[in-house]
Amino acid sequence: MQIIISNNSKEPIYEQIYSQIKKQILTNELQAGQSLPSMRQLAKDLDISVITTKRAYEELEKNGFIYSVVGKGSFISEQNNEMIRERKLKVIEEQLIAAIQNSKEIGIELAELKELLTMLYKEDV
Amino acid sequence: MENVIELKDVNKVFKGFQLKDLNISVKKGFITGFIGGNGVGKSTTIKLILNLLQPDSGSISIFGLDYKKHEKEIKQRIGFVFDENIFYENITLNEMKKLVKPAYKKWDDELFNHYVEKFELPLNKKIKHLSKGMMMKASLTIALSHHAELIIMDEPTSGLDPIYRRELLDILHDLMQNGERTIFFSTHITTDLDRIADYIAFIHNGEHIFTKEYYKIEEEYAIVKGGTNLLDRDTEREFIAIRKSNHGFEALTANKKRIEDIFGEAIIMEKPTLEDIMLYTKKGREENVESRS
Amino acid sequence: MLNLVRKDILLQKNTLLIMLPLLIIYLLSGSSVTWVSIVFCVVVIMNAFAFDEKSSINLLLNSLPYTRKEIVSSKYISACVFTLLVLFTIFIGNLVIHKEILQREQILITISIVGIFISLAFPFSYFFKSQYLLIGFGVSFVIYMVIVNTFIVDLNDRIRDLIQIMLSFSNTQMYLLIIFSVMLLYIISWLFSIRIYSKKVF
Repeated sequence: MQIIISNNSKEPIYEQIYSQIKKQILTNELQAGQSLPSMRQLAKDLDISVITTKRAYEELEKNGFIYSVVGKGSFISEQNNEMIRERKLKVIEEQLIAAIQNSKEIGIELAELKELLTMLYKEDV
Repeated sequence: MENVIELKDVNKVFKGFQLKDLNISVKKGFITGFIGGNGVGKSTTIKLILNLLQPDSGSISIFGLDYKKHEKEIKQRIGFVFDENIFYENITLNEMKKLVKPAYKKWDDELFNHYVEKFELPLNKKIKHLSKGMMMKASLTIALSHHAELIIMDEPTSGLDPIYRRELLDILHDLMQNGERTIFFSTHITTDLDRIADYIAFIHNGEHIFTKEYYKIEEEYAIVKGGTNLLDRDTEREFIAIRKSNHGFEALTANKKRIEDIFGEAIIMEKPTLEDIMLYTKKGREENVESRS
Repeated sequence: MLNLVRKDILLQKNTLLIMLPLLIIYLLSGSSVTWVSIVFCVVVIMNAFAFDEKSSINLLLNSLPYTRKEIVSSKYISACVFTLLVLFTIFIGNLVIHKEILQREQILITISIVGIFISLAFPFSYFFKSQYLLIGFGVSFVIYMVIVNTFIVDLNDRIRDLIQIMLSFSNTQMYLLIIFSVMLLYIISWLFSIRIYSKKVF
């Protein structure tokens, strides 16, 4: 698990950890059931205080990304619908970005692209 | 969460100085940094916690126990490091160990040797010949070799060079791996705390200002910068203290959200350092005293 | 608490290793055995006391799992141990060199005088500092002289009477009386020192 922390960022450190782990869960880099390092180990590795990693894990747990078993540690949750949706959205976003880039390369305007998208969307269903 | 140290309404009066209604609690399994300027009562508080002083009124409990009944039991579970040398000077570290060892039921020679090796401490050199950094490591070694649950340190980093300080902080990280241990240490070098402290306890002039999770400080407090035209009698009240110059003002707030609501885009907000908080709190208190008198 | 006594002996290890043989030399030179043993006891005991007087050492001892009562008590016990140690050395030395057994009067006098000295010196040193001891004894001597000369003019007669009374006892009775008084003084001083030390700030 890669986590990179910036001390100069305006974003609090626990949020940096939270969003980076969340991203890795949503992109399936971290998979359901996989264990996370203990809060104390992670704090040591990142050279930050325990309470910061604790806060990040608490937020992740609160939002259903991970769960913890007393005495065993924290694990990635089985993804629920909302999370799957969020993950799909992320994929769609990426694909759309690719489409936009391709469009720009050959000079297709936004209106034209929208038209194409609408047509394809209706046709397919 | 369990409190390892609990000071309730503690008062202690000396000539020309007093601790007033101190209420401090220290959470188990975390590192609490104890900050404040020189002579504001940090060392006195630590002495109270170690029962080197007794409060005039109020109660102090350690591990939920009272010193009056459980003095030895409590001290068995504490490791201590002071900023001055408190060992006999004319003996070696090895001899010092032999004097301290029988005092503790849980003394662990293997652990002692582990730290001696890790810190490259000379066992047969007289203690008075150790450098400041070595001395700190020697104190720490003695403090850690009896599986103490609570480690109390009074200015452990003062007088140490940055490399030693960094090493000490790494050791503290290691110590915290098992969640049973609690560390309480005072310092006036606040940058030491940035990476390691879970809680910050702040005292000023014998009064406890706050004990907070470190990240909460960043959430609540902010340094605010803007033009002096924004300030008037009402808005000035929103700040702990203000520094004005011909080019604008800089101030500290303990309520970031509110300031955002009041001033919006007209100001710049920055993360305060602990030093900023100490400095502005001192300034604010002094001005209060002046305006009242 | 016995750990603290052990600590006192360990810290004095080198001093003792030098001083005890020195005792033998004194014995060889034929000095008064009683006088020599008293001086040695006092020096060793006060040396042990001075070791622990620095405020940093008080911080150490009080942060270790000892109570203040134990810290004071250990000093009183070490004093007894050191006295016995010196007496033992003299006893053996005397036996070997002079081929005679130390008289019990000599032992008694040594123990009594050391006991009285410690009973006065320890509470004083806990209250002030051992370095002021000499001044303290000087001042009390002057005060004593003044009081004696102005208020109790017939002191010498009284002392003479007292000695007369004591001489009228049998030896055993007298020894018991002396031992008992010294012990009582020692215990009172012990309790008094605990009181003083428990209020000390360092």
